[in-house]
Amino acid sequence: MTKREFKKLFNNRIVLLDGGMGTLLQKMGMPAGVCPEKWACENTDLIQSLQKKYVEAGANIIYSFTFGANPIKLSEYGLAEETYSINKTLAMAARKAAGEKGLVAGDISSCGSLLAPYGNIEFEEAVNSFKEQIKGLLDGGVDLFVIETMMDLQEARAAIIAIKELCDLPVIATMTYEPNMRTLMGSDPVSALVTLQSLGADAVGCNCSSGPVEMVEIISKMKPYAKVPLVAKPNAGKPRFKKGKTVFDMDAESFASYAEALVEAGANALGGCCGTTPEYIEKLAEATKNLYPVEVERKPYSLACSNRQTVEIHPSLPFAVIGERLNPTGKKALKEALLKGDMDYVSDIAREQVEAGAKLLDINAGVPGIDEKDVLVSMIDAVCNAVSAPILIDTSNAEALEKALRIYPGRAIINSISGERDKLEKFLPLAKKYGAMFVLLPVNDTGVPETAEERIAIIKDVYRKARKMGFTKEDILVDGLVMTVASNPEAALEALKVINWCHKRFKTNTTMGLSNVSFGLPAREHVNSAFLAMAVANGLSTAIMNPNSKQMMDLVRASDVLSARDRSAINYTEFYSGEVVSKENASNAKEGLKSLYDAIISGDRNNIEELVRQELISGRLAKDLIDGELIPAIQKVGELYEKGKYFLPQLIRGAEAMEKAMAILTPELIKDGGESTESKGTVVIATVKGDVHDIGKNIVAMLLKNYGFNVIDLGKDVEGSRIIEAAKEHKADIIALSALMTTTMGEMPKVMELVRKEGLNCSMMVGGAVLDKNYAESFGAHYSNDAYSAVKLAEKLMNDNLH
Amino acid sequence: MYGIKIMKNLKPDYNKSLIYTRLGYNKKSAELSTEAFKETERLIELTKKTLDITAAYRMMNIVEIKPPEVILEDGTVLKGQKLSKLLENCNTALLMLATGGKKVMELITRLQDEGRLSEAVVVDAAASEITDSALDMVMAHVAQIIRPRGQALTKMRFSPGYGDFDITQQRDFYRLLDAQSFGITINDACLLLPEKSVFAIAGIRNYF
Repeated sequence: MTKREFKKLFNNRIVLLDGGMGTLLQKMGMPAGVCPEKWACENTDLIQSLQKKYVEAGANIIYSFTFGANPIKLSEYGLAEETYSINKTLAMAARKAAGEKGLVAGDISSCGSLLAPYGNIEFEEAVNSFKEQIKGLLDGGVDLFVIETMMDLQEARAAIIAIKELCDLPVIATMTYEPNMRTLMGSDPVSALVTLQSLGADAVGCNCSSGPVEMVEIISKMKPYAKVPLVAKPNAGKPRFKKGKTVFDMDAESFASYAEALVEAGANALGGCCGTTPEYIEKLAEATKNLYPVEVERKPYSLACSNRQTVEIHPSLPFAVIGERLNPTGKKALKEALLKGDMDYVSDIAREQVEAGAKLLDINAGVPGIDEKDVLVSMIDAVCNAVSAPILIDTSNAEALEKALRIYPGRAIINSISGERDKLEKFLPLAKKYGAMFVLLPVNDTGVPETAEERIAIIKDVYRKARKMGFTKEDILVDGLVMTVASNPEAALEALKVINWCHKRFKTNTTMGLSNVSFGLPAREHVNSAFLAMAVANGLSTAIMNPNSKQMMDLVRASDVLSARDRSAINYTEFYSGEVVSKENASNAKEGLKSLYDAIISGDRNNIEELVRQELISGRLAKDLIDGELIPAIQKVGELYEKGKYFLPQLIRGAEAMEKAMAILTPELIKDGGESTESKGTVVIATVKGDVHDIGKNIVAMLLKNYGFNVIDLGKDVEGSRIIEAAKEHKADIIALSALMTTTMGEMPKVMELVRKEGLNCSMMVGGAVLDKNYAESFGAHYSNDAYSAVKLAEKLMNDNLH
Repeated sequence: MYGIKIMKNLKPDYNKSLIYTRLGYNKKSAELSTEAFKETERLIELTKKTLDITAAYRMMNIVEIKPPEVILEDGTVLKGQKLSKLLENCNTALLMLATGGKKVMELITRLQDEGRLSEAVVVDAAASEITDSALDMVMAHVAQIIRPRGQALTKMRFSPGYGDFDITQQRDFYRLLDAQSFGITINDACLLLPEKSVFAIAGIRNYF
C-alpha cells in the first residue's frame, strides 16, 4: 500500500481498526505467562478465526498478532532466534484472515526494556531489533505498519526509523497515556504528535491504558496541530478484579456510544484495545456509519518540540527567545568543559538559560580538536536530561548533524541550511528524513549578500527546493542575517527589510543572531536592545540571544505587550508583580518599618540582623528586645503551628530568625551588665546508635534552643555510653533521643538502663517515625510526636521537676 | 526467567500536596503567605533538579503463600500477614527499588550545615515523596508489559517496615535487587544509604 493510498483511505469516512486480541485469547485458554506470539504460531487457526471475525465486524485494518515479537522481548523466552519466522508466520496468518476485505498492519510494540537514557538499550540496538521484526512482517505480506502501546517517544521514533530504512509502507503510531495525560516517560500528546508526524508517521494517536472517555481529551489536544489522521483505540473501560477474574467495566454498547465524541474531538480512525471483542467493533461500525471526519482549523504555527514540551512559534504568540550560551565560540569556560567532557556544566548552562526565560536552546559543539559528532550528542543528552526546552542543532558538519538528529527525542531545528550547494545537498535530505525544522540562512556559494533583495532571492530559491521535498513555510525560520553596523552602517536596516518581507509578504517565521549587530562597538547591550525592539516591530518571531541579559529580557516582555503578543499583559503582570512585592519588603526592612516581633513571625532571616542592630542603635536594651519582642514572637509562632496555621518550614524559619537575633543580642546582654538569658534547663540530644537520619533531631534541637533551653547536641549514630557521659558532664535535666527505625529504637531502653545504672537524675524524652507513646512508656520515657510538642514536653518536664 | 531491569534518569509525576502533608501543612487551617509558598515551591524545584532517580525491578515467581510466609522461587521467605494478604491470588512478585542518588543527600546536609534547616526540611520531604513516586512509574511500566500476557498488578505495594512486614527484610531486597550495584549500602540497622532509597513489593496475578 502506498502512502497516498493510505491517505485516501481516510477521505470522508471513519476508518475502523480491530479490537483486542490478547485478552480474548487469554479468555479462550492461552496460558498466562507463555510467549503469546509463539503460542499464536502454534494456534494460527484460532488467531485467524478471531481476525476474520474482526473483518466481518467491519474492521478495515486488522493488526498482525506480533505485538511483542521483537528479538529483545523474545529473548526473555529464549526465542530471539525465531524473530523472523514468528513475524512472517503471524503476518501471513493475518493476511489470510483479511483476504480482500481488509488491510493488515504489521504490529510492533515496546521491546519491554527501556531505551537510554532511561534504560540500558541503546538507540541503534532498538532500531536494529525492530528491523529484524520488520523484515519478517514484510515477507509475511503486511500492507502497512502500526507502532502501538509505546510509553517512550524515543522507542516509537526508533521503530519509525527502522521502518523508513527498510520500506515505504505507511505507518500508524500510537502511544499509551497515563491518567495525567502524559506517557509514562513524560511526553504530552502534542509533543508526541509533532515528533511522530514530522518523522513520517502517516497517522498518529493513542491506544490502551485508558478508556474512550479519557481519549476524547487526548485526541482533542492533538487535533489543532495534526497534519495526519488521528487514531483512538481505547480499552473497554477500566479493568476490575472480580471473584478471581478480570472484567472490563464497559460493554460493547456503552463503548460504541463514545464514537461520536471521539470523532467530534478529531479522531479519523477508531478501534478497540484490551477487553474489546468483535462485538465491540461491530457496535462501533454501526455507531460510525453516519459519522464523518471533522475539519478543525490547524494552527499555523511553526512547532519545535522535545519529548516533553512543544514550543509554538508565530508572530501572534509571545516572542521565543533562543538561548545562545551553549555555543563555545568566545566562551572559554564552555570550551574547557567540552574539552574535558564536563557535561554537568552543560546541564547547568541549559537550566540557567531556561530559568532566565529561554524557550529554545541553541547547541553548538564546534571546538577545534574535539570529535564534534560525539560531543554534540553528549551535549544533547545532557540538555535533554536537564530541561524540557527544544533545541537548535547548530553545526555545519553533516555527519554530526545526522547523529544528533537521529537520537534527539523530539523535533529539533537545524541551524542552519543556506543556499550553498553542499548544504542543500547534504542537510536538506537530513531535515526531511528526521522531520526537523530548519533555519534558512540567506547566503549562497558566492558569499553573504549585502542587500535585502539579494537575500530574498536566495530565500525564495531555497524554499522552492525545500517545497519540492515536502517542506512547508511552517517548517522554516528565516534568518534575517544581521552583520555588524560597525563595518556596514546599513547592515541592521537590510536585515530588518528581510524580516519585514518574511513577516508581511512571505509569511514565514524568522530569527536572528542579535548580538552580531553590535560587534566592535562599546556598550553593546544598548545597541542589541534597540535593534531587538526594531526587529520585533518588523515582525521578528524569535532571536538567538543571551537570556541572562536582564535588559534584553525586560525588553522582550515589554514588547510582547506592546505588539499584542502578550494579550492583556498576563505574562508581563505575572512576571513583574512578584518583583514589586519583594522590593516593598526590602524597603520596609531598610526603613525599619517591620518590628522584630513581625520579623520572627514571618521568619525573616534575611533582614532580622539589620533590624536588631537598628533597635540597639536607637538605644533599646537587649533584654527588652528579647523579653518584649523575641520571646512573645516565638511563642506566637509555636501557637500558630499548634493551631495548624503554620506548617513545619514556617515554624523552623521563625526559630532560625530568632537564632540570628540571639547571636547578636547575647553578647549585648553581658555588656549591659546582665547574664545571658536564663536557661529553662539543659537537654542532651542525640540520634541513637545505628541511626543516621538526623534531620528530625536537628529540628527539635534548634527549637529547644530557641525556646530557652541549653542544648548539647551529640549528633547522629551515638553510642549510649557517650550520651551518659555528656549527661553527667553537662548535668543534663533531660536526655532527648531520636530513632527512625524499628531496628534502632531498641537502643533507647538500653540508654535508659544506663541512666538508671548510673543513678542519673534526669528525664528522658524520645521521638521518631516508628515510635509511639506506649513504646516510650514501656521503658519509662516520655514521647512527643513532633518537634513543637517536644518543646512543650520539655517545658512540662522541667516544670514537673521544679514542683 | 526475568533478570533485574533498570530505569534511569527518571522524572516521576508526583502528588505535590503529599509533600506539603509531610511538612505538616493543614489545608483547612493553614495561612501560608505568598512568600512562604513561593519559597517552598522553589525548594521543590531545586529538589527535582538535584534528584538523580534510578529504579530497578525484578519479577520472581511465588512458590507458596502460607500466611504470614511468602516463599519466592529462590527460597527467599518474606513474612507479613498483610503482605500475604496483598499477594493472595498472585503467582509472581514484583520487587522494586528506587533511589534518589547522593547529590540530594549532600544538598540536605549542606543546607543543615549552613543553618538553613527550614530549607533542608522541605528538600528532605520533597526528595522522599518524589523518590517514592518513581515506584509508581515502575508499577505503571510493568503493568503495561504484563498486560499483553494477561496479567495485572495489585493496586497497592508494601515496603519493609510496613505493619508486620519487618524492616530487617530490607536485607532480602538488597540482595535480590543487587542494590549494591546502584550505589546503595545497608547498615546493621537495615538503614539504606543514600537515605532517599526505598524498596517495595507488589503482586502480579493472571486476568483469568
